[in-house]
Amino acid sequence: MKTLSVVCLALGLMPAVMIGGEPVDTRTFVLLPVKNDPTVSFRLWFKVGSQNDPSGKEGLAAITGQMLADASTMSNTYAHIIDLLYPLAADYAASVSTEMTVIAGRVHKDNLAAYYPLLMDAILAPAFTQEDLDRIKSQALNELETTLRYASDEELGKAVLYNAVFAGTPYGHIVTGTADGVKSITLDDVKTFYKTHYTRDNVVPGVGGGYDQGLIDRLAGDLSTLPTGVPRVVPVPQVPATEGFHVTIVDKDAPATAISMGFPINVLRGSREWYALAVANSWLGEHRNASSHLYQVIREERGLNYGDHSYIENFPRGGMRQMPPQNVARRKQLFEIWIRPVPLEAGHFALRAALREFKQVAHNGLTENAFTLTRSFLKNYVLHYAPTTMQRLGYALDDRFYGITGSHLEMFRKVMGEITREEVNAAIRTHWQYGSMQIAVITKDGATFRDALVADTPSPITYKTAKPESVLNEDKEIAAFPLQVKKENVKVVPVGEVLQR
Amino acid sequence: MAKSFFPYAYTKEILPNGLTVYVIPMESPGLVAYYSVVRTGSRDEYEPGKSGFAHFFEHMMFRGTKKYPGPVYDSLITGIGADANAYTTDDYTAYHLNFAKDDLEQVIDVESDRFQNLSYAEREFQTEAGAVYGEYRKSVTNPFALLNEKVQDVAYDVHTYKHTTMGFEADIKRMPEGYAYSKSFYQRYYRPDNVVLLIAGDVAASTTLPLVRKYYGGWTKGYVPPVLGTEPAQTAERSAEVSYPGKTLPVLDVAFKGDAFDPGNRAYVAAVLLGELAFGETSDLYKRLYIQEQKVDILDAGIPANRDTPLFEIVARIKNEADLDAVREAIYATLREYQTTPVDARRLGDLKRRQRYQFLMGLDTPDRVAGGLARFAAITGGIEVVEKLYSAIDTVTPEEVRAAATRYFIPERRTVVVLRGSRQ
Repeated sequence: MKTLSVVCLALGLMPAVMIGGEPVDTRTFVLLPVKNDPTVSFRLWFKVGSQNDPSGKEGLAAITGQMLADASTMSNTYAHIIDLLYPLAADYAASVSTEMTVIAGRVHKDNLAAYYPLLMDAILAPAFTQEDLDRIKSQALNELETTLRYASDEELGKAVLYNAVFAGTPYGHIVTGTADGVKSITLDDVKTFYKTHYTRDNVVPGVGGGYDQGLIDRLAGDLSTLPTGVPRVVPVPQVPATEGFHVTIVDKDAPATAISMGFPINVLRGSREWYALAVANSWLGEHRNASSHLYQVIREERGLNYGDHSYIENFPRGGMRQMPPQNVARRKQLFEIWIRPVPLEAGHFALRAALREFKQVAHNGLTENAFTLTRSFLKNYVLHYAPTTMQRLGYALDDRFYGITGSHLEMFRKVMGEITREEVNAAIRTHWQYGSMQIAVITKDGATFRDALVADTPSPITYKTAKPESVLNEDKEIAAFPLQVKKENVKVVPVGEVLQR
Repeated sequence: MAKSFFPYAYTKEILPNGLTVYVIPMESPGLVAYYSVVRTGSRDEYEPGKSGFAHFFEHMMFRGTKKYPGPVYDSLITGIGADANAYTTDDYTAYHLNFAKDDLEQVIDVESDRFQNLSYAEREFQTEAGAVYGEYRKSVTNPFALLNEKVQDVAYDVHTYKHTTMGFEADIKRMPEGYAYSKSFYQRYYRPDNVVLLIAGDVAASTTLPLVRKYYGGWTKGYVPPVLGTEPAQTAERSAEVSYPGKTLPVLDVAFKGDAFDPGNRAYVAAVLLGELAFGETSDLYKRLYIQEQKVDILDAGIPANRDTPLFEIVARIKNEADLDAVREAIYATLREYQTTPVDARRLGDLKRRQRYQFLMGLDTPDRVAGGLARFAAITGGIEVVEKLYSAIDTVTPEEVRAAATRYFIPERRTVVVLRGSRQ
């Protein structure tokens, strides 16, 4: 059957209903028709992600996604696929996150007929060659062993934080995996993983833009050729409560100190409480925005770094994007503070400054002014989250993930018109407790940093230029702000050992 | 009538003070993109010790005016939920906002104000210098930042493309001392006759232009162009090595001095296509080195659009250092092949088709339209050139591609830099 479908696909002759199983029920599709859109957007969501990586094979979900989207199929070599896609100015890519894998692509309607069979081929008939696996594995290994360890300390800090917060759970390794895990992945691993997770019962097809019903029927028929099967559901990670601050210091010859910290939270978008907490978080640390309070304290007033932000949802590759990503949804989220690299001598100070601010907001909540301004900001700012059909389709899939009827973005705007400061401060009290957190620090001379941290040594800073009296006075409080980190809760790891296993 | 590549009708006006304004209405329910493009970037940093200053000055533009001091500016922009930011490049600096259309007048008011009446104390200036150093610090661990710095430094003797937009670290360190200079920078470059406004989205020219005239009309012209030295002709190949303080795969950068952006220059237009044809993902070399032999995990090439002569760069990251010479030789062999054999007409046709659709598909939001036009507006003063460029690309012949390869790929234009990690 597969051979026949491959031939049909290659010739662009795919019938609406394939031989064999019934078409996939189009009522399960997420559809976003936009009549005047000259393009068609696809997001085919498979309910699988790095949480499904078998133990010892960390990175398998990510590699399998790439083995579909960036590799050969039964009908075409990878090189030939590139040639075929090229004049269409279209491609498709696999986005793999903790819980979701989405094969996404966008094409101009003029080129849809030529594009669609290639997209289907990638999903239904991957070739899984050793040559492709070697190439994709070597990219993943380079990412883990070289790029993360040496080229971007802030990305490394986040990776170390995520792995520490969710250690021992299916979320306990980053999507790229571990060096040992990636090395051990074989073609058979990929094939088995594909058979288990890329089933007709495990896919939610999303289509948006200027398509017609014929395309949807055809897609339903084509996806019906995937094997049946509902994979085992991975339980939501249960993270034991941590007491106090737990610190992982990555020791390397770093030119600056990068810090990420956070703890798991029990609130998801769609609930009123989440929108309340979103107001608090936007005030504390709106992503790459001068309205962030942490940014004001650490960057604007003191000039210590490029930015300081906070999150209540997974936000991968924050340094590369302005707006939140789509299709990285998860059943368990993390509250996270991101301190971009500060001078080595200011690392301890910056950590204290951020924790002191967090303690204040966790205890006191938002002022009336802060609340009013932030609510007004968010009401319009969410308009920028999804200006394109492709992005709106991504949000629509996320709505399905979170069980939101209607639209998260519309609800967000609506709730911003109604929510009260009391609700925001109640959400803070429920979800933000000061005192227990995982902290990742990437720095030079990690042992010295550890000793200063454990001894709560004062960390005064000096500026090369004049600062207002108010800043200097506050600095004295920050420099002596007690963190009370216990020695047994701090570990120093050489950079060559992180992300290894 | 010739077919048009740019799909939106627009209105252009040049105010008496020289400010150029484009209003580009498009379907985008309720949203507007607003780009103020200052035709000044790191190219204009000709005074010694001032590398990186255009970028630093971009930061100062957020420090406010007497009418709207920094915190007031911030809370106004925050209050309307605008997505606002700025960036600096070699040839220009862009200040951009996306916002709801009802806030258009508010935005024109605050933007026109900071371009005319910026005001900041020395202390704020010095604090911001710290943030800029922080920006340098977050990128410095990236091997490509180091490589790029070296390539430009070696390839140019006199021209300001010798330094990157971020600037030399020594100059960044000294930025806090440059308060007086920053005032002169603002006076010379932040003038209406050096700025192009691009306003795209749910707007109409009939209501937008009167507001622009009202708020920007009083801005006085007075742009003083930078005094740029003429880069002497290169006479021989140059080369250098960079040691990256960490672990990285080795990276090879083969750069050739190209020509300034000019859609009327057939060699330049052909060179725009050459990078893709010879080294892009459908090229023989890419398929061999990346997919089959897997000797490289990055292979990329191209020439940017610049006011002055940029570099046509070919960059390869090599998986095994022992293959470095073989990869370099394979790149040179490809260059020779393009100098002797005209490219396959079908491949050239595929590329033109791809470029056309990519361009069209990329113009789907006001931000992408205004953002995509910003560089053209900066280097030519207008956006009409987009039509000229795509028309020119559409008529490039295989023989012209060959002629361009012959013109550019010669040792007298070449700079070769290899970056290696200090730790393996």
